[in-house]
Amino acid sequence: MVTKEKVGQVTAEECAEIKQLFERRNGLGELAKILTPDNEALYEKLVKDMGVTGAKFQQWWDEKAAKYQWKSAPNGNWEINFDTCEIFLIVAE
Amino acid sequence: MIEYLVILLDEAAASYCHYEVPAQLQHRPISAEMLQRGIRFAMCQNLAIQFVYPHYEISAELDDIVHSVDHYKIMPVDIDATKADVVVVDGFDFDKAIQLRKPTTLRVVNDEFFARYGELTPLLLAVPNVNLVFTDVQHFTKADLDAYRCAIDHLSEDVANMYIADQCLRINLLTDRLSLSKMNNCGAGDASLTMAPNGNLYVCPGFYYDEPENCVGNIKQRELEIPNGYLYTLASAPICRHCDAWHCKRCVWLNRKTTLEVNTPSHEQCVMAHLEREASRRMLAKIRERGSFMPECEIEELDYLDPFDKRHLW
Amino acid sequence: MAEIKDNTQVWLDGEAKSITFIVTKDCQLACKYCYLVGKNSKERMSFEVAKAAVDYVLGNPELFPDQSVIWDFIGGEPFMEIELIDRLCDYIKTEMYRLNHRWFNSYRFSFSTNGINYDSERVQRFIEKNHTHLSIGITIDGTRRKHDLNRVYKGSDRGSYDDVVRNIPLWLKQFPNGGTKVTISSPDIPYIKESVLHLFSLGIHEVNINVVFEDVWQEGDDALFEDQLMQLADAMIDGGLYKENVCSFFREDIGKPLDISLENSNWCGAGKMLSIDAEGNFYPCTRFAAYSLRSKKPIIIGNIHDGINQNLLRPFLSLDRLTQSPAKCLSCEVASGCAWCQGENYDAAVTSTIFQRSTAICLMHKARVRANNYYWNKLYCKIELEEEQLPKSSCPSCPL
Repeated sequence: MVTKEKVGQVTAEECAEIKQLFERRNGLGELAKILTPDNEALYEKLVKDMGVTGAKFQQWWDEKAAKYQWKSAPNGNWEINFDTCEIFLIVAE
Repeated sequence: MIEYLVILLDEAAASYCHYEVPAQLQHRPISAEMLQRGIRFAMCQNLAIQFVYPHYEISAELDDIVHSVDHYKIMPVDIDATKADVVVVDGFDFDKAIQLRKPTTLRVVNDEFFARYGELTPLLLAVPNVNLVFTDVQHFTKADLDAYRCAIDHLSEDVANMYIADQCLRINLLTDRLSLSKMNNCGAGDASLTMAPNGNLYVCPGFYYDEPENCVGNIKQRELEIPNGYLYTLASAPICRHCDAWHCKRCVWLNRKTTLEVNTPSHEQCVMAHLEREASRRMLAKIRERGSFMPECEIEELDYLDPFDKRHLW
Repeated sequence: MAEIKDNTQVWLDGEAKSITFIVTKDCQLACKYCYLVGKNSKERMSFEVAKAAVDYVLGNPELFPDQSVIWDFIGGEPFMEIELIDRLCDYIKTEMYRLNHRWFNSYRFSFSTNGINYDSERVQRFIEKNHTHLSIGITIDGTRRKHDLNRVYKGSDRGSYDDVVRNIPLWLKQFPNGGTKVTISSPDIPYIKESVLHLFSLGIHEVNINVVFEDVWQEGDDALFEDQLMQLADAMIDGGLYKENVCSFFREDIGKPLDISLENSNWCGAGKMLSIDAEGNFYPCTRFAAYSLRSKKPIIIGNIHDGINQNLLRPFLSLDRLTQSPAKCLSCEVASGCAWCQGENYDAAVTSTIFQRSTAICLMHKARVRANNYYWNKLYCKIELEEEQLPKSSCPSCPL
């Protein structure tokens, strides 16, 4: 059973920021499935980029959680609705 | 509303505008019977007639029929054009036109104009009105537009100096905009139609030569009904109805050739008209430095050359 | 707060550049209402042509200033060319990344498929590889009876329903918000209600449905259509289906008069998108390619070698409602939501122009508006009654 509860809201600018990071992270992940180390320059760029983007992604959640003090739960994670900028707490029970 | 009927007196009647008459066309005059029927059609529809002459003298029989009705003659300079209402000259060989002292249409290509526009002065001073038409607008490149900007600026300075020296002259590219307060364009399909020697009606001679199978009617018709006729009106031209380059030819034949739509001008046609508009504006300012001149005329400075680029504001 | 399912937003609807590859003009089916009059098995796009198109688009970012892109693949049936598509999508991703193109951060690969080979190994491998960037719609017209009326195999009258419906669970598992497109022509009208309800029962919660723009309508079709929509409205409301399902025939914003001074924009996006065929020719929309046109010449706006002729795009980008609409549309009391297709307008026009709006769907739109009004009046009345627990007779606008 999964529960979903609205726990906050971010600004449109903040939402756009995480949306872009989310899209980029997905793009890098799917590129990683087809890029091989023999394409040296691009592969190196990709590996570095995945690290940087992943870190920025996590940083966004850390900063916003600290800023807005969203409710949390031991088995839960937060989700954002890009259309409404709402933050939800998803808990698997 | 259609007010004029242009009648081509020969299948290869002289071009008096942007279009070209195909070189392979043989001279074949309109038949006397068709000419009479065309005239009768125009009279029944209340249309003023403009006859377009070929590059040879027409027969006495046709001449008699032509003179049986009030009309307006468009004649190439290479025939006896003493009775012409408008003389048509191809290129810069306009000595005869200077002698005739008639309103003159000058058909030029861009390279020739860029090289020789400085030679226009004697013609401008001799004839009441010069209507300069480019026959290769559809091939203008960005470099041509840059060259045109330069040429039209220089020409506007020459014309301003002539005005300052109290010499009165008219050239469509620069002086028409000063005297207009609304769009005044070619009007093909809206105010005028063309009758080909076969009795078919076309939007203008350019359409006859390009797409003879696509006529918009025939003089056998009792009523004039042009398919999708609204497309030839200013109200149905989204770019033009927001524009104040009122002197622009707004050539529907060029529109069709470059954008496939009769109501949509090409980028080049818009930019040329706006370069002329801007040159007219600066010419007006220069003349006014010497005193009052056409005080009712105001031309606002614009930050664009193609109204299409401002479509988000419409 | 009333619980009414809203349309799922199309990804960056209207904001993203749509680049469409006509990868094949072949299809397993020969649907009777298909507007593609020139389908054939010969014109298949080569990788070289597709690559050249991608190079042109990505190499000229100033011509495509949009922040996002939808790489769209159509046919015929696009998944018949899954090998080309797979290779091409890999190339697109790699190039967008290599060029640091802004679209790498905002792109989708979009497909509208007949669903027949959806479960094939190649298609499934492709989906697995690109899952977060995919938008896939499977076309299913409704019940077996309705679907097989039109969507039959090429060269036979055998319907394709069974081969499509078996793939629906897999598709919905992979894309739970997946919607389907349903097209209604004159013979389909009696099956609208049962078809939409059937699609809901299959777990497809979003049914995007429209009547064809072509002039196919018979006398009395509008009344029949209205009746079907009213029956559908009753079933959706009485059965509470509106809470989890949406049928695009019912929209609150349609059927109002339009003030042309405020709402003069074109309905159709032709010219804002770019379509590429197997020859490498560019079109303002696929509907302007030769295989889509009954009676007019194709409008080719450029090609992979010479690029786009911007002059040929000017009519499309300056088109507005006012210029192309006849007087009866401008003064229409129920104008909002009445759609048009620029390609069909062009195909049906009396001269070679995109500025003549076809009004073949006029009576159908008016019928839809009446049924739509009924739907919303009935729905809000029901919700009000439920929320306020008022006796039925106290609801003044409800005729029921």
